[in-house]
Amino acid sequence: MLEIKTLSKHFGGVRAVDELDFTVRQGEIFGLIGPNGSGKSTTVNLVTGIFPPTAGEIIFDGRDITTAQPHVTLDAGIARTFQNIRLFNNMTVWENLWVAQNSAEDKKATNLLSRWMGGSRKAKSQVEEYLEFSALADKRDELAGNLAFGEQRRLEVARALAAKPKMVLLDEPAAGMNREEVRALDERLRALKARGITVLLVEHVMELVMEVTDRIAVLNFGQKIAEGTPSEIQNNQAVKDAYLGTSGD
Amino acid sequence: MDEHLVSILTNIGGFTFIALSAYLLLLTGEISFGQQAFFGIGAYFSGIVTAMWGLSMWAAIPLTMLAAAFSAGLVGIITIRLRGLYFSIATLAFAEMVRLALVGTTWQVKIDGEMIGPNGSEGLGNIRWALDNNIEANDFMWIVLITLAIVMGLFFLMERSRLGSIFRTIGADRLLAETQGINVTAYKVAATALAGAIASLGGIFYAHAQTHVYPENFDVMLGVHSLAYGLIGGLGTALGPLLGVILDIGFLEAVEWVQGYRMIAFGGLVAVLLIFMPRGILDERRVHRLRMAFRTRKTEPPPAKTHDPAAS
Ligand SMILES: Nc1ncnc2c1ncn2[C@@H]1O[C@H](COP(=O)(O)OP(=O)(O)O)[C@@H](O)[C@H]1O
Ligand SMILES: [Mg+2]
Repeated sequence: MLEIKTLSKHFGGVRAVDELDFTVRQGEIFGLIGPNGSGKSTTVNLVTGIFPPTAGEIIFDGRDITTAQPHVTLDAGIARTFQNIRLFNNMTVWENLWVAQNSAEDKKATNLLSRWMGGSRKAKSQVEEYLEFSALADKRDELAGNLAFGEQRRLEVARALAAKPKMVLLDEPAAGMNREEVRALDERLRALKARGITVLLVEHVMELVMEVTDRIAVLNFGQKIAEGTPSEIQNNQAVKDAYLGTSGD
Repeated sequence: MDEHLVSILTNIGGFTFIALSAYLLLLTGEISFGQQAFFGIGAYFSGIVTAMWGLSMWAAIPLTMLAAAFSAGLVGIITIRLRGLYFSIATLAFAEMVRLALVGTTWQVKIDGEMIGPNGSEGLGNIRWALDNNIEANDFMWIVLITLAIVMGLFFLMERSRLGSIFRTIGADRLLAETQGINVTAYKVAATALAGAIASLGGIFYAHAQTHVYPENFDVMLGVHSLAYGLIGGLGTALGPLLGVILDIGFLEAVEWVQGYRMIAFGGLVAVLLIFMPRGILDERRVHRLRMAFRTRKTEPPPAKTHDPAAS
């Protein structure tokens, strides 16, 4: 589904991502872990076209999206969340989801006028569905900026769904969540998988990653140091060293 | 109706168009110091259409708006890579170029024994369509105000629509808008073109109310004012720029005892507001609160739904 081929991104002298290779298969939950500053967010930014790579290739669904603009990667079927929550704070929860429906399907020229005016009845009922899915139905008219932290994280995931993606890239969706919220997120990720959506999960909360992912790649200093199933990764010496080396993040 | 009042209301109408054009760009996050160029293009182009070509103002309106949208769209394309201050400076430079071009342009033809057409810094006169058709100041005011009502209505429609939300998302967080599939470049050019057309509408009415316009009417002060109107009145609703215009023209200019101090009062108002209400009086949060208060009075809140067990 998503093929990363010898992908590199240098910021000046910093090799944020260094000849990275991995493939996410259709329908799986793929974990991307590593110490702080190991290049996880940069990888997400490269895939979603925030900036072009220094070298390498990104293939999604058989299509080369290496240098595609963000809105093009979304049309291709990739939606994302941000590590530092990014919402339209002056818009309501409902509006944040409503305006996020921008998939290639939504954009068909024949739908353009209805899209500009407010979308079809179907589009609006889908917003209700995302509200329900993320347990935000009672917050629909609240400004996104007024939500509690956990609610904002949920809204980000719901918004990614609103784009009807084939794949979502979640950048630390559990950061700052309590146990119960993490458990709910775990269930939501499984629900995504059940819907056939491929997930790339960047996460620091190890119990979640080990619990929910099918396979994991581990980064350190922009390079992949291990790849495998959760149990393989847990017993991998290089991974243990990398995490111990950064005094257990 | 009192003549003074008629002229004030006509002015409020005319200047609200350019305020709305600056407001539309502010929504998309751009500060244009150049909307006076399209006001000026609107005044000159429509004046040429009616005074030189002898067409009616009703024909001049769509032609002029198209011409303004086209030139504004070109400016939008040329400046698309410029952000923030650079965009502001580029728009200002463009507007000054337009003004100087008007100063340097003389193109007059003899019509009924009179020389008619742009005449450098002497401007463009004899825009007599209203006089020739016996449209009195009072009637002209109604033409302006009704057109304004229509344009405001379209703005309200846009603000409730997805298109309006898309414009706002670009202004709020351009990168986020882009990652949500919004082709920011295309929408920005569209907004610039639309804003140019709206500003030109103000110029059309200004020219036909005044019958004579000068290049100096479209200097940078007009651009600064049109920006300030939205920033004072608020960026949460299209009523914001209208409120700004009413405060300035309706109050500061019309009330005699502030006359001498108008610019000082206006500058002070802008400064104070920018500190305490950076997005104006009717900003997004206040508008949201008003909307919610209005809505709960009208309808019961939807019953709290039980959550999907997998989601709670
Ligand atoms: N836009 C940027 N400009 C310069 N350096 C950056 C930028 N983004 C990330 N980096 C650097 O790249 C490295 C990897 O960062 P990042 O991908 O955010 O790590 P992670 O998400 O794994 O914590 C860090 O050293 C960081 O400082
Ligand atoms: Mg990160």
